[in-house]
Amino acid sequence: MSAPVRALATIALLAAAPASAETLVVRAETLYTMGTAGTISDGAVVIRDGKVAAVGKAGSFPIPPGAREIRGKVAAPGLIDAHTVLGLSGLFNDQADQDASEKTGPVQPDLRAQDGFNPEEGLLRFALEHGTTTVLTGPGSANLVGGQAAIYKTDAALGDAMLVKAGAAMIYHLGESSKATYAEKRKAPTTRMAEAALIRKSFQEAMTYEAKKKANAAKREKERKPLETDAAAEAVLKVLHGEMPAMITANRESDIDTALRLVREFKLTAWLAGAADGYLARERIKASGLPVLVGPVMERPGALEMKNVSLENAALLVAAGVPVAFQTGEEGYVPKSRAILWDAAIAAANGLGAERTLRALTADAAKILGIADRVGSLSPGKDGDVLVTDADPFEYRTHVTAVLCGGRVSFERR
Amino acid sequence: MFQRLAESFLAAGALCLASAAHARAVAYRGATIYPITGGVVENGTLVVEGGRIVAVGADAKVPAGAEVVDLSGKVVMPGIVDSHAHYGNVPIPMVPANQDGNEGSGPIQPDLSAIDAIDPDDPGLAFARAGGITTANIMPGSGNVMGGQTAYVKLRGRTVEEMLVRKDGISGGMKMANGENPKRVYGSRGEAPVTRMAEMSLARKIFVKAQEYRKMWESYRANPKGDAPARDLGLEAIGEILDGKRIVHHHTHRADDAIRAMDLAREFHFRIVLHHVTEGWKIAAEIARRKVPCSIIVIDSPGGKHEAADFKFETGGILERAGAKVAIHTDYWINDARFILREAALAVQHGMSEAEALRALTLNGAEMLDLGSRVGSLEPGKDADFIVLSGHPFSVYTHVLQTYIEGEKVFDRSQPRDLRYSTGGFAVWNRYPSAKGGGQ
Repeated sequence: MSAPVRALATIALLAAAPASAETLVVRAETLYTMGTAGTISDGAVVIRDGKVAAVGKAGSFPIPPGAREIRGKVAAPGLIDAHTVLGLSGLFNDQADQDASEKTGPVQPDLRAQDGFNPEEGLLRFALEHGTTTVLTGPGSANLVGGQAAIYKTDAALGDAMLVKAGAAMIYHLGESSKATYAEKRKAPTTRMAEAALIRKSFQEAMTYEAKKKANAAKREKERKPLETDAAAEAVLKVLHGEMPAMITANRESDIDTALRLVREFKLTAWLAGAADGYLARERIKASGLPVLVGPVMERPGALEMKNVSLENAALLVAAGVPVAFQTGEEGYVPKSRAILWDAAIAAANGLGAERTLRALTADAAKILGIADRVGSLSPGKDGDVLVTDADPFEYRTHVTAVLCGGRVSFERR
Repeated sequence: MFQRLAESFLAAGALCLASAAHARAVAYRGATIYPITGGVVENGTLVVEGGRIVAVGADAKVPAGAEVVDLSGKVVMPGIVDSHAHYGNVPIPMVPANQDGNEGSGPIQPDLSAIDAIDPDDPGLAFARAGGITTANIMPGSGNVMGGQTAYVKLRGRTVEEMLVRKDGISGGMKMANGENPKRVYGSRGEAPVTRMAEMSLARKIFVKAQEYRKMWESYRANPKGDAPARDLGLEAIGEILDGKRIVHHHTHRADDAIRAMDLAREFHFRIVLHHVTEGWKIAAEIARRKVPCSIIVIDSPGGKHEAADFKFETGGILERAGAKVAIHTDYWINDARFILREAALAVQHGMSEAEALRALTLNGAEMLDLGSRVGSLEPGKDADFIVLSGHPFSVYTHVLQTYIEGEKVFDRSQPRDLRYSTGGFAVWNRYPSAKGGGQ
């Protein structure tokens, strides 16, 4: 860390420290904890040092003196957007603020979200003010193997503490998007066949690299030769060893089947993302055991591979027994982004129901992403991430009245 | 002349069809009715005959022999008027083969018409009906300074001719645009307009040319000696703008761009509707002072381009309070046509009154298309264009159940095929799994 960066980090820590030190109490007529405490009417949650300290019926436990109280009709854990490009694909949609898609080659496993993430990005703030406190973000859809995603808190005031998990997933995109990027350049992949072949090749090369590395390690050390570490292959090996999930975006039914085929072939730990045709392949997805990051729910059926996208996709997948979280994914133009609260609301109104949708946005998403020890429910020890609203969170005319992120009051509606 | 003849022939044909289909009056009873031009009517009755509304109210008289349809517990409001859309001329799937919205061969295209690009089979039109839209202004895109003539249509009919709504021989406005889009299309090729200055210059030049063309014809008509001047169909379309018969529908985002568009209208004395008006909240008082109507869009987030970065959900309410006339449009496919009620609901969440938001979806948009005497409210004599909702217009849990145009049902959520335009999955409706709780 350079001196100025270190200084900035220190300042950020100092700035964050006083806010976190404040003890907060959120009191709501309906408190969805999404944890063991269930749903509490007239509930309260105490947040101290950034974490949930106590939760229960208001009056059933002492409120620390001097605590600042935030009241609302409804409170729930902060929402999790399970797959976005927030922080990397900026508000202005101008080359100057677009760092999600490195269009110089279809297979880029060594790229890392952290190296493009801008904590001050305007759309990240927009998401925060609409209840999103945690995002999985990373490389965009232009490439077949986009690189490594990371999980962040959305409030820039948290400084370094924004980062929840690096290397949270390797991003894969099957179907139209990478074909579109490289057809223009007359480079592979220009067909779905090449997409699958390039992914297979990437896994095979990583395995060859690993074998060679093992065989040569002793020899190279003896000869004092460099190890020739290949960052891309090392990252792919993490995927092959199940240390980093493969997040595979596949929308057309046949692309979903390709994803399931690759997962079986290489015994991957994986998540399906997008999955517009998921409801048509729900039995096969269920059999695969893969969770699905559905969305955006309001995806417009303009692209061929999006033709069958249904507002009932999440409801039908859940009914089939598939674990579901929601993602806003990536938007290319106007609107440049979506609020996961509003987008998932459409699933709530199309068969999934409000409470089940809220669970998918919180506890279920945290479990799927492997961060349930930190977020997704309001239980003692969990992060102080709270969404507060003045009515049913999914109703169009409801307002988000406050958002707590990492134990700070990040937003309050005036 | 031929056009006029064809028009009266078509109109007569349409009337014959309509009267055959609706020889009998139908009374829709029991619904909560939002007539727009009056207060909400609980347990109201809407009587339709011959494609027109004959009565509406709490104690509207039901003619003897009328068919009675019970709509208890439902909500009825006028069919929605979408004052800015691209379904039909940018059909699904949105592949280059189907792109007929922007004629990218030059920035001034007054002789083009959206009519010549509309595909009545576009599923986008079915989405719009599923969203409760009955009348729309289908426009060329915003890649040109003057993109072409727009089409005022009802969302029904086998051919575009059956879709068109004509008034005084005019069935559309003129699309214009300023700001980033024309700059992006032509600037990237090093052609004009590269700057906003050139956009204004190109617009002024064509209006001046149209003024001169009109003068030339006036002088020839006054003294028709020698050969008639050569006709220019594009300049004639602009002549209709100068005559006040054709409205300019002007795409604009940034506040200064909106002011420039209004200035241009003042300079050449034409009628203008501002579209999108993303930064309208910054200049609401000025817009109201100039009495320029605004057809706005409510998008899901700010950004996507610089001129949309200062988008605010509050714009509708701020313009309303300033006294400006506001309509809400989809700009489909920017917004999904199934969610136009949601756009208005989000404007309400951010301060627009419910009454004005409903008007923005209906009568205000109709007036911006010169169609306020035919559609946009439930009043005797007006077209029987209405929608049946399962609940309050601005609830996320409300579904559009039925859409009627001139008394004909054009969407019915209880029909499996129609339902799959509402939920999605229209192309696989016959293998779509039965959804529990996904219905009405």
